[in-house]
Amino acid sequence: MSDQQQEPERTAAGEGEHLLSQLVAHLREHRTRLREEWAQRIQQAHLLNAMTPQEMSAETTSVYDNYVEVLETGSVEALQHYARDLSERIIPRGVETHEVVGIVLLLRDVLARSLFEKYQRDFGLLNEVLDAYEPAANRIANTVAVSFVDERERVIRQQQDAIRELSTPVLPVRERLLILPIIGVLDSERARQLTEQLLSGIRKHRARVVVIDITGSPDVDQTVANHLVQTVDASRLMGASVIITGLSPKIAQTLVTIGVDLSKMNTIGDLQGGLEEAERLLGYTVTRKEGGTSS
Amino acid sequence: MNGGPALVSIMRQGSNLIASVHTALDDSELVRFERDLVDQIGEFRSRGVIIDVAALDVIDSFAALTLRRIAEMARLRGAVTVLVGIQPEVAFTMVRLGIGTGDVPTALDLEEGLEMLARTAPHPASGADGRR
Amino acid sequence: MSATERGEKGTGHASADVADLIPMVRRIVGARVGSHPAADDLVQETLTRVLAASDTIEPGMLEPYAIVTARNVVATMWRDEDRKRRNRHRAIDLSEPETPEAQLVLDEEQSAMARALGRLDERERRTLLEHEVSGTDTKTLAESAGSTAGAIAAQLNRTRARLRVEYLLALQHVEPPTDRCRPVLIALSSGDHRRQREVRAAQHLLECKDCASLSQPLLERGQQREGSLRITIAADPDIVAARSAAREVASRLKFGPTELTVIATAVSEVCRNIVRFAGSGEVVIELLESPRRGLQVVARDAGPGIPSVEKAMSDGYSTYGGLGLGLPGVRRLMDEFALVSESGHGTTVTMTKWERNTDDE
Ligand SMILES: [Zn+2]
Repeated sequence: MSDQQQEPERTAAGEGEHLLSQLVAHLREHRTRLREEWAQRIQQAHLLNAMTPQEMSAETTSVYDNYVEVLETGSVEALQHYARDLSERIIPRGVETHEVVGIVLLLRDVLARSLFEKYQRDFGLLNEVLDAYEPAANRIANTVAVSFVDERERVIRQQQDAIRELSTPVLPVRERLLILPIIGVLDSERARQLTEQLLSGIRKHRARVVVIDITGSPDVDQTVANHLVQTVDASRLMGASVIITGLSPKIAQTLVTIGVDLSKMNTIGDLQGGLEEAERLLGYTVTRKEGGTSS
Repeated sequence: MNGGPALVSIMRQGSNLIASVHTALDDSELVRFERDLVDQIGEFRSRGVIIDVAALDVIDSFAALTLRRIAEMARLRGAVTVLVGIQPEVAFTMVRLGIGTGDVPTALDLEEGLEMLARTAPHPASGADGRR
Repeated sequence: MSATERGEKGTGHASADVADLIPMVRRIVGARVGSHPAADDLVQETLTRVLAASDTIEPGMLEPYAIVTARNVVATMWRDEDRKRRNRHRAIDLSEPETPEAQLVLDEEQSAMARALGRLDERERRTLLEHEVSGTDTKTLAESAGSTAGAIAAQLNRTRARLRVEYLLALQHVEPPTDRCRPVLIALSSGDHRRQREVRAAQHLLECKDCASLSQPLLERGQQREGSLRITIAADPDIVAARSAAREVASRLKFGPTELTVIATAVSEVCRNIVRFAGSGEVVIELLESPRRGLQVVARDAGPGIPSVEKAMSDGYSTYGGLGLGLPGVRRLMDEFALVSESGHGTTVTMTKWERNTDDE
């Protein structure tokens, strides 16, 4: 269904820029039809499933318009801006990298096909139009893909940082009681941060009892296990008793291997039990320092 | 040191003695502090002793040893000693160095220390003392 | 070089004397600042400076030098407080005028150096520049001058000492008020004890205000310039002085409060070993730039040495009835630790704390 547009075709060969503006005009004119065709292809390819039909419609419209605009100006800045904008809008919707690249490639093909239909009668002209269009279209696809991956990495890193911070909170549960849940892999750097946070937390919250819950940490190496024990001892020096909960058999084994006398550590099976023990320590009195610090 | 600003102060409060270290002490000053404090524990027949070390930016092996010795001497004279105010960095460094306070109980600060003493030592008004 | 030998022989003695200075320094500081909260810091600061300079001054001069230093330290504090007070209202734009000022200071320093060089005699200046700028070694210089390498080295030391004095005079636009001033300042600058005695430097420092204020930078050179500090350890107060100094130097790097405490504590332990086992020795605290940024502490003594290093490095070993710990604990505190001990010849501990990477990715 090609429309015969009465473009004053100047067939002067090699006029790439002129051809490009011609095809931009073509894409603008048939915007509605081409965009719908593209959306259909996206659905057929099962891409962007995470989006509602309304979102799809809005996104494809906006992506389409920007795409044409970038084709028109051809400037790198505009292209990068477009790609970044696209990534920022699409990543929060849970879209995967291959989907984004996929829809951009689909759009490239939908548009290429419409150009094919339009110029099919003049094979020479068609070749020239495609020569002008394809490099530009591929450049857009590449830039979008790279930008999307970058943006995604940035978002993931941000989330990891947030998780990292979240996973070593010192939680003041009630007066004089702190909980330190350890989640995820403990490396020495994190263990060091954790100790500093806990010790200053004890002073800040005037804690008398600390429950360190390591249910969330499947395994630790000997260095970190050592660090854990030192943290317990240091807390005691500041006047706080430490209860350790959620000690996996594996970690318990590591502690024994490095020579820790587990009977001197106040360990309780689970967090609930640990909190009960903490209440008991707080409610009654800590008459004597339980266990002994290192001799 | 005589004549200069006091390096430590020892205050009497009821049956307790509160000793505060105001600045870094060298070894001989620590020994002098130990002697003065132990003398006063004997003199005042104190029941409880609090040593506030919040001002110490370093507690090395000698300082830790001295503090433990004070507590032991106090115990022999019938007093319980509580060590208060060990700073977070100092606490961690002591542990890394491999020194502790032994059996000497610790508390966060003076207030906590006094409370601990009140729980540990029998109240003087209540007369009978269960332990030595 | 003979100067070093002489310096090291004198150190133990000098530093024991520094301990005796404490009451006097307290009195001087107290008389000027009363019960100001910084009084103790000022005393400490004075003692640290006297200690740092004690190698380069003759033992009999410690007392006058401490008096001069205490006064300077107090004056500096008031000056700083005054400036802070005057600048408080414009605390925000303080950084602005800093840059042109810094440039000015730089220009000033360069022209002072040029003037100082101009005041050396031709032969001295030529030899110094040959050595420092062209990098010609003393042996070559000696050959061309028909002299010995030792004599050239000694001459270079004297020239440097003079240059430092002339540079300071030019920088501060001071013309020495008496003809005793230059010989005294040069004797201080070169660290030549015998010469200091000959020119009665101690007495002059107390009498001459200009030389008193110039003596400070002359005696503490190297300390600021190279980020390294040498402290003589001979008595209990030295241990505290050394660990405070280590903390101070370390705080110029990106160390957190825990690491600063760790460093101070490690220094405290090794210094105590010097006092207990060797009687005296020294600690050199140095900032490292490469391969990584860090703080290095070298503690050495010429004491009896440790009979069994292996035993000393195992937990539980102790010779002074401490807690059965010492060096193994110190090794745990620091990132690098090396112990060299030779029976009858002394012990050297070299330990390092590296600056942590700010980013862990
Ligand atoms: Zn003079």
